[in-house]
Amino acid sequence: MSNSHNNRAAITRRAYAAVALRTMWRRAEGKFALIVLALWLAVALVSLVWTPQSLWTTDGYHVWAKPSAAHWLGTDGTGADVFSWLMAGSRTNLLIVLLTVVVSALWGLLLIAAMVARNSALASTSVVVIDALISIPTVLIALILAVPMGASIAVIVIACGFGYGLNLARVARPAALLAARSAYVESALANGASGWRVLVSHIIPNNLPVLAVQLSLSAGTAVLAESGLTYLGIGVPSGVPSWGHSLATSVKLINVFPLTVLWPGLIVTVVVVALNVFGDVLRDAIDPVANPALRQTAGSAGKEDER
Amino acid sequence: MSVTVEALSIAIGGKPIAADVNLDIADGERVGLIGSSGSGKSMISKAMLGLLPLNATVSGSVILGETQVIGASERELADLRGRYVGTVFQNPAASLNPVMTVAQQIGLPLKLHYDLTKAERAERVARMLGKVGLSADAANKYPHELSGGQQQRVGIATALITSPRFIIADEPTTALDSITQRQIVDLLTALVDDAGASMLFITHDFSVLARATTRCYVLESGRIVDSGVTAEVLADPQTPESKRLVSAARSLTLRSVDLHSTKEDSHEQ
Repeated sequence: MSNSHNNRAAITRRAYAAVALRTMWRRAEGKFALIVLALWLAVALVSLVWTPQSLWTTDGYHVWAKPSAAHWLGTDGTGADVFSWLMAGSRTNLLIVLLTVVVSALWGLLLIAAMVARNSALASTSVVVIDALISIPTVLIALILAVPMGASIAVIVIACGFGYGLNLARVARPAALLAARSAYVESALANGASGWRVLVSHIIPNNLPVLAVQLSLSAGTAVLAESGLTYLGIGVPSGVPSWGHSLATSVKLINVFPLTVLWPGLIVTVVVVALNVFGDVLRDAIDPVANPALRQTAGSAGKEDER
Repeated sequence: MSVTVEALSIAIGGKPIAADVNLDIADGERVGLIGSSGSGKSMISKAMLGLLPLNATVSGSVILGETQVIGASERELADLRGRYVGTVFQNPAASLNPVMTVAQQIGLPLKLHYDLTKAERAERVARMLGKVGLSADAANKYPHELSGGQQQRVGIATALITSPRFIIADEPTTALDSITQRQIVDLLTALVDDAGASMLFITHDFSVLARATTRCYVLESGRIVDSGVTAEVLADPQTPESKRLVSAARSLTLRSVDLHSTKEDSHEQ
């Protein structure tokens, strides 16, 4: 009996996801964001098993080559295939973006919990501390981290996760505070809910739209940060494919071979735009007040329950 | 559940909110607490649940059943709230979580206090919906799709789903129009009496009070200034403060009843 109910709950959740996706797809910019992100995911997966050329095949006679049948996007300064490196780079960037979003979400939510705490000393201290920490540039944190850690993906993820978590907390604070002091939270407390439960099942769900937008902005910024930090030599270590790596190795000769820089630059731009747009359309799609289709899902799920 | 409040004093940030409040509610009794805005009614109800702001200082004693609330641990309080004590709030539009469906909302106290399967919970929620006069398809609606009266029915269902022994109704009708007020008060009192629970009914409105309670306390600036059988307090207020409250309430809500004495009261002032 309970098992069938769990199945129904899973179906409802899947129905919600389907409705949210359909709502996003119906808008032109939503289509663009979804296609770009799906393509990114697909390319990253394919690159695990196949790239047109091996990353380590270099053709010393054809460096900085123009696009051709053998090298679809040409070759770089070592004669390696640009298209293959960009394909392989997409999985590194995907990993960095996912890890950064997870780290900044966890860190940001921890800070939000502190800032909306009933304990006013903790709340006011955390606000001051966050305002102080937010003034430290992410690049500086990355430079400091790179001293003991060297160039590594961890440097990007920790520095960006830390910085974006602070941003997330500060942006979400007013709305989270409103939720924390709201009558429905008081009602949940009066029904015996604990502070953590109130945070997880009342404050966060009511702030999902803000969190979705802010986290997708962070995802976009993480792509940009990867390029910047890798260019500085403290991001992705040399030999590991990434879009930042492809940019960094070709940007010095932009005046001579502009095409080679164009491809990674284009990809980074399109992906960042897609991530930012994704946040906006997601915000509208998951809000039951803004999206009437979601409410209908709840209604039809109820009818299925009755049968 | 019997409730005893003795010498309860509350101050927030050094500012006194309530002083030396004594209240008694017998098992199964419906008692009112009436006072104007800012007289400390809501803070007294919060003190009874241990939900005062952290910068509040509180002394005295609040005994719900056999539990001393003042100084109780957060664990003891969490066990009490929603399970033995149900609360109906003033503004149903704000006290229902906007992203939770009606069924999730009503099921919340069950989820927090009882180890039920989803099916058992859904069944109890459905039964409760019927009791408060909502149709079954309301279960999957969101609060903003309901009218004010329906929202407060959900609030009442949430407060009563665990069959608590004591109900705190903190101005449950203030945000509603007068016809809906009457329906909600009648529903609440009927359900509370059915369950054999006791109730503290907080309001600033004597007409609602007379309908909902048998006995009442009059609160003015954080002090109990009058108490007795509701009908008697209403008909013959003993202290100047309660006279003022009664006359103000009459001129606002009981215009049809005894206009003459109201005029006299205002002449005295």
